[in-house]
Amino acid sequence: MNGARWLVQALRAEGVDTLFGYPGGAIMPFYDALHGSSLKHVLVRHEQGAAFAANGYARASGRVGVCVATSGPGASNLITGIADAMLDSVPMVCITGQVGTPLMGTDAFQELDVFGMTMPIVKHNFLPRSVDDLPRVVSEAFRLARSGRPGPVLIDLPKDVQVADASHLPAHAPALVDPVPQPSEPALHAALAQLALAQKPLIYGGGGIALGDAVETFREFVEAAQIPAVLTLKGLGALQDDHPLNLGMLGMHGSRAANLAVQACDLLFAVGARFDDRATGKLAEFAPHARVVHLDIDACELGKLRFADAPVAGDIATGMRRMQAAAAAHLHGRHGPARLAWRDACTAVKAKTGPRYDAPGDGVYAPSLLRRLSALAPEAVVACDVGQHQMWVAQHWAFDHPRKHLTSGALGAMGFGLPAAIGAQLENPSAQVICVSGDGSFLMNVQELATLARYRLPVKIVLLDNQALGMVRQWQELFFERRYSEIDLSDNPDFCALAQAFGIEALHVDRAADVDTALETLLAAPGPALLHVAIDQNANVWPLVPPNRNNAEMLDEGGDADEATRLIAADDPDIAALQAAAAQPVARREAAAPASQASSAATAQTAPAAAAQAAAADTGDAEPASALAPSPCSPS
Amino acid sequence: MRYRLDLTLRHSEGALTRVLGTAERRGFRPVSVEGDTHADGDRWHLQMTVEGDRPGESLLQQLAKLYDCLDVQVQPCT
Repeated sequence: MNGARWLVQALRAEGVDTLFGYPGGAIMPFYDALHGSSLKHVLVRHEQGAAFAANGYARASGRVGVCVATSGPGASNLITGIADAMLDSVPMVCITGQVGTPLMGTDAFQELDVFGMTMPIVKHNFLPRSVDDLPRVVSEAFRLARSGRPGPVLIDLPKDVQVADASHLPAHAPALVDPVPQPSEPALHAALAQLALAQKPLIYGGGGIALGDAVETFREFVEAAQIPAVLTLKGLGALQDDHPLNLGMLGMHGSRAANLAVQACDLLFAVGARFDDRATGKLAEFAPHARVVHLDIDACELGKLRFADAPVAGDIATGMRRMQAAAAAHLHGRHGPARLAWRDACTAVKAKTGPRYDAPGDGVYAPSLLRRLSALAPEAVVACDVGQHQMWVAQHWAFDHPRKHLTSGALGAMGFGLPAAIGAQLENPSAQVICVSGDGSFLMNVQELATLARYRLPVKIVLLDNQALGMVRQWQELFFERRYSEIDLSDNPDFCALAQAFGIEALHVDRAADVDTALETLLAAPGPALLHVAIDQNANVWPLVPPNRNNAEMLDEGGDADEATRLIAADDPDIAALQAAAAQPVARREAAAPASQASSAATAQTAPAAAAQAAAADTGDAEPASALAPSPCSPS
Repeated sequence: MRYRLDLTLRHSEGALTRVLGTAERRGFRPVSVEGDTHADGDRWHLQMTVEGDRPGESLLQQLAKLYDCLDVQVQPCT
């Protein structure tokens, strides 16, 4: 028993069944230990594919994804996939070989300071210099990856540690997960006090809802409180697409209903969201009339970018569950009629501003194709790449759970889609997994077609090909005076022939009339298959909030850089009313300036929150101590 | 604005780099750093002065999240 064999056994004990990797010199003892083991190793064709596949595996399942690479270039090739996991809070354990400890620091062959290189992009990393360190390191790696806000952990494993005698080490016991931090009573009361004051409350739900296993609780809260909700890119599916209170995605390519509601609301309840710039637009003008209640497991997010009148640090599911009954009771309070009128105004605007799919012409309109595919494959897990097609998926796919939407949100890493789909398919072999990609992104990890073919994974690829780097082209059109710089991809390969060269079935469509048949043929293919879709290079993603504009200043089709401040047309009285509310002069006391209040879990009663409670008491809407549902930790 | 940080860290590989890197990446420029190993050899005691425009509380929370950070206190410099 050497260190490598001990590690393989430890991975099994941690519940790992599949890992993604690529062998090389410094990791050879580990690969020797894998030989004949019960672990399923998936050989990718580039280490970035291994990191993204483990990432997709983890996103789809919530389990820890594991990837392996050798030292030097193998490890550095993992880095984009690890960074993506860090920014999107994906639990991963990444194992890299390292040269032997006597050679470390000598510029040995394939030696890189991977420990130092990855420090800013991991939750933590370890460099065990003795085989005796392995039990602690493996336990801590899995514990950290899973606990609290999840993330990637890297173990850089010197070759001599892998071959050292480990027969004296105890069998590995699976790591425990840290107890979930609970929201404090004062913080929850302060949040409810803010909610009680609101006449136009809005929920802003993000990726933390799924990460906290809070999807069902979130839905129950929305239903009970009858508060409309907007969702971030990573929050999509937290509320069913067709739920009447789901106003859609907010932000740069958000829906009109979502963005107008955010700008008009008087209370924003952020749940597992982090005020990312793609969601907020111009931060200083984001939700300008709103007090903010912010619930997140990561105290660092509270007040990081936007002052929270009521910050609540702790488990999202617990927080929402405990606030639900009191929030629902607000409907019968003095602001109940106003709340219901606001809800109805939001849903009316949603109904009147939804996307249209009746594009003129014979060519394929990508949003229409995606909406159709969504209807044909309602249970599918969708892995996207990055660019226009990613935003079209977000806008037009009817997601019913966030774990069915695998997208590189914070990092925006092109090349994510295909390997992430491979990871998701291996995690759930019976799932319908669809990769939606663009011609730019697809070629970034096209080598993983070989992985798809080798394991005969029935992933379906929809490749939207506009022969350009479409999102960059769109921005150059709108904001760089149509000076198109290095976006032309008209010399793309024949993608169908390319797929077929890997042994993958492929078909092509370029007419709207043929889309249904093409999609049905694609989905009926028993194995992996690719549908190449020729689309118009001039098609843009609408609506769009221009950079450094507030989210009410959406450009719509026909807009251009010369009229970038034009609001969307508002002939309808419901839309005009919401626009007018959004455009009212701001009359609130705290500007949207960064402020720190992250110690809220312990000292939640901030001055504004206390003032709100006092104000609520004046109006008879104060929350009594009994307003909260009992905590499972409270003595009964 | 200047802040004084008092930190207790695991005496583990990378702990010092991690703390300094976190401070800089989160918008705080180190002004002075002083530290010593605790008598038991398992911990670092580190005193840092940093300056930055962001609230010191935000740096405190980021440092407190580090695995190697066992304790951190932040005080504004007078």
